[in-house]
Amino acid sequence: MTQENRSGRPQGRPPEGDSRLTRTEVQLRGPFLLFFISSVIWLLAASVLGVIAALQQGSLAGGPFRDCEILTYGHVAAAQHNLFVYGWGFNAFFALNLWLLSQLGRFELRNGWLATLGGAVWNLALTYGVVQIFAGNQTGFGLLEFPREVGPVLAVAFLLAGFWPIVAFARRPTGHSFASQWFVVAASFAFPLTYLLAQLLILWQPASGVVQTIAHSWFVSNLLLLWFGASALAAVYYFLPKVLGRTISGYYLAPVAFWSFVLFAGWTGPAALIGAPVPLWLQSVGVVAAAMLIIPVIITAINFHGMLSTEGGWSRAWNDTTLRFVSFGAVAFTLFGALNAVFAFRGYNAVVRFTSFAAGQEQLLTYAFATMVLFGAAYYVLPRLTGSRWPSAKLVHVHFWATALGVVASIVALLVGGWQEGKQLAVASIKLADVVRAGSSWNYVLSVSAVLLLIGHVAFALNAFGMILKSSAPASAGRHD
Amino acid sequence: MNDRNRHPDNNRPRRGPSGAGSEGPSDGRLVEVHSQLSRDKDEPSEGFSLTPIFIVFLFCGFGFWAGLYLTQNSGNFAPSAFDLNAPKASLAGGPVAFEPDAAKGQTLFLANCAACHQATGLGVPGAFPPLVKSIWVTGSEDRLIKAILAGFAGEIEVNGVKYNGNMPNIGAGLKDSQVAHIATYIRQAWGNAAEPVMDTKVAEVRKAIGNRAQYVPADLLKEHPLETK
Amino acid sequence: MKNLNSLLAGIFLAVAFPFGVLVISSQVQLGSLGPAPAEEGGPLFPSREPGLAIQGRAVYVSLGCVSCHTQQVRPAGQGSDIARGYGVRASVARDYVQQKPVLLGERRIGPDLANYGARAKDLNAVHAAIRHDGQFAFLYAGAKQEAATERAIALAAYLQSLRQDYSSPEAKLKQ
Repeated sequence: MTQENRSGRPQGRPPEGDSRLTRTEVQLRGPFLLFFISSVIWLLAASVLGVIAALQQGSLAGGPFRDCEILTYGHVAAAQHNLFVYGWGFNAFFALNLWLLSQLGRFELRNGWLATLGGAVWNLALTYGVVQIFAGNQTGFGLLEFPREVGPVLAVAFLLAGFWPIVAFARRPTGHSFASQWFVVAASFAFPLTYLLAQLLILWQPASGVVQTIAHSWFVSNLLLLWFGASALAAVYYFLPKVLGRTISGYYLAPVAFWSFVLFAGWTGPAALIGAPVPLWLQSVGVVAAAMLIIPVIITAINFHGMLSTEGGWSRAWNDTTLRFVSFGAVAFTLFGALNAVFAFRGYNAVVRFTSFAAGQEQLLTYAFATMVLFGAAYYVLPRLTGSRWPSAKLVHVHFWATALGVVASIVALLVGGWQEGKQLAVASIKLADVVRAGSSWNYVLSVSAVLLLIGHVAFALNAFGMILKSSAPASAGRHD
Repeated sequence: MNDRNRHPDNNRPRRGPSGAGSEGPSDGRLVEVHSQLSRDKDEPSEGFSLTPIFIVFLFCGFGFWAGLYLTQNSGNFAPSAFDLNAPKASLAGGPVAFEPDAAKGQTLFLANCAACHQATGLGVPGAFPPLVKSIWVTGSEDRLIKAILAGFAGEIEVNGVKYNGNMPNIGAGLKDSQVAHIATYIRQAWGNAAEPVMDTKVAEVRKAIGNRAQYVPADLLKEHPLETK
Repeated sequence: MKNLNSLLAGIFLAVAFPFGVLVISSQVQLGSLGPAPAEEGGPLFPSREPGLAIQGRAVYVSLGCVSCHTQQVRPAGQGSDIARGYGVRASVARDYVQQKPVLLGERRIGPDLANYGARAKDLNAVHAAIRHDGQFAFLYAGAKQEAATERAIALAAYLQSLRQDYSSPEAKLKQ
C-alpha cells in the first residue's frame, strides 16, 4: 500500500525513555490507562452484542437466539447501544479529554485518585445497569434504559471522572486558549447538566404524556452532539495541526464554529419527532436547528479539509496512522452534517422516518466520526504514555481496514437500506412483511459489517493491551523524572 | 498567508512513522500560534479574501430562511397543531378545526338564499323548488356543493314536481367555510337530518370543478345520480 | 473565550435556553392536558387503562418491545400510516396522557401498535402475534393459548387496551 508497509514502520515510535514523559503525563497516566482499558473492554463487549443484534434484526423468529429471553433483540440492542455510548464513548473521551486539556494547559493532575475513583464508580454503575437491562429491568427510553437508580451514580461518577478538563482549563498558565479547549470544556460541562435534567423529567418526576418524549429527544441530541460531537471535534482540532505541523486554515473562523455548534446543537432534538404527536412548532424548531447546524459543519470543513488539501496533506495523512484515522473522522463529520441538514426536512424525513436511516446517521456521528478519531488519538497518545511501541504493525492494518470497511458497509446498509425501506413503506399496498423481506440482503451486510468491526476491535485491543502489558512490567522503577 | 503562519519548527524533518511518531509543534506553541492567528484576522497579509464575506452572506441567508420557515411552519405555536396539512388557522385562535355551525349557516342562508327558497325552505311553488325533505339537499354532499358553487340551469324534478330551475352560482362569491355553514344549515333545518358539511370538502369540490359555468341538471345527475330513498 | 467564566456561562445558556423553550414550554402547553370529551357531554377519552394493561405495559417495557414497535400514527401526507391501517386518524398529544411511560418508539421493524387494540381480531390473534413465530415462546408454557403465562396475559391485555379510535377535541373522526 504505502511506504509504511514497505518500511514496516507503523509500529509506534521507538521507545524514548521515560525522560520524555512530561510531568503532566506522569500525573495522569494512571487514570488515563484505567479509562482507556475499560473503554476498550466495553467496546469489545458492545461489538459482540452488535454481532448478536445484527443476526437477530429483521428476523421475526429471532434468528439463532429464538426463545431465549435474555437475548431478545429488545435486550441486546439496548445493552449494545448503552455499552457503546457509556462504556466505550464516555470512558475513551474521559481519557482523551483529560489528556488533551492537561497537555494544552500544562496541567498536573494532583488528585488523580479522584478521577480513578470516578472511573471505578462509573464502570461499576454501568455494569450494574447492563446486567439489569438483560434481567429485563429497563425504562423504555433510548440511552436512558438503565434503571433510574443508576442515573445519579453515573452523574456523580461523571463529576469525579469527567470534570478535570475544566479544572485544567481554569488553571492553564497562559491567557491564550485553543479551539480544542473550548470544545472539551463545552462537552464536559453540558453533559452532566443535560443528563441530570433528563433523568429528573423522564424517570424521577416524569413529565406528563409526550413531554417525556420531547425531553428525551432533547437529551439524545445533546448527548450525541455535545458529548460525542464536541469531544471528537476537539480532538480533530488538536491532532490535525499537531501531527501535520501546520496551522489550521481559516482558524479565525473557529470561534464561530464553536459558538454556532454549541448554540444550535441543543435545539436539534425535536427534528427526530417529525410527524409525532408533538406540537408543530417544536418540530419546526428542530428542522431549523438541524439545518443551521450546517454552519459549524461548513466552518470545520474549511478548517480541516483546507488544511489537509494543501501541500500534500492528504497523502501525509494517509501515511500516518493517527492522521489516517483522524482525517477519516473529519470527512465523516462533514458528511454527517450535510445528511443531518438535508434529512431534517419534512419531505425527506417522512420517507426515512421509522426506518434504519436514523441509526445510520447516528453511526456516522458516533462511529465513523467520534470512534475513528478516538482510535487515531490512541495511536498517538498510548506510545507516549507507555513509552513503548505498538507491538504489531500488522494488527494496526487489520484494525484500520476492518473498522473502516465495517463502518462504511454498515452505514451504507443502514442509510440506503433505510431509504429503500421507507420508499416501500410509503406505498400502503406493499405489506410490511414484504418490505422486511426485501431488506434482508441489507441485514446480511449489517451482520458482515458487525463481524468486521469486531475483528478490528479485537486487533486493536490485542495491540493496545500488549503494549500496556509490555510497558507496565518494568514500569514502576524509573518513570519519574 | 501560509508562510507567515507556518510553525518555525515546521521544517524539521518529520517523516514520522505512523502510530504516533510525529512530533508536531509543542502544545504551548500550538496554542500560541493559533491564538495569534485569530487575533490577526483583521489585517490580512495578502490582498482581500472573499471567503469571510461569502460566509457572512451565507449565514445571513440561513438566518433569514430560518425565520421564514418557522413563521410558516409552526401552526401559530399552538399546542394543538400537530399536522402541517391540517386546515389553516384562523388568525385569532390558532388552527382550530372547522366546526360547521348551523346558526352561522342560518344567517348566511337568510342573506343569500332566502330570497328564492324562502326562510321556511319551502320555496315558491311553480318557481323555486323547496329544500325541505329534498334529496338534492340531504343526498350527496358533492352534488349539493356543486349546485351551490356553480349553480345550474334547466329542468329539475324535486319531490315529484318539475321546476324550470335557474340556480345562480351563489357559492362562487362565498368562502369555503361559508358554503359549508350554509350547506350544514339546510341539511339540518326544517326536519332535514343529514350530516354536516366540512369546509375541506367544499375546498376539494371547488378545486375539482374550477371556475365552471352553470351545470345542466342532467350533467350534474350524471356525476352524482339521485339516491333512491 | 479566554475567560473561563464567560465560556461556561455561554455553554450554560446554550444548554438551558433550548431546555427552557423546548421542554419547559411544552410542559406548560401540554402538561395540563387530560382526558376530554370530543363533544360537550360526551365520554372522556383516552379512558383509564385497566390494571392488567398497566402490568402488561411493564412487560412491554421490560422486553424492549419499543426497539421494534412504534406507537404513533402520522398525519395523512407523511408516510402511509393511515392508509396502511395503523390508525384511523393521526395521533395527538392527548392520546398519551394516561400512559406512563410514553412509548412512542423510533423504529418500525414491526407494525405500529398505537391502535392495535382496535384492529386485533380476538385474543387468539393477539397471542399469536406476541409469539412472533416462536421468538417469544418463553412467555408460554406450551403450544396452546391457554398455556399463556401471567406475563403473556398481561401483555395481551395491554395490547388490546391500545386504541386511538375515538374522537378527541384535536382530532375528530369523520363520521
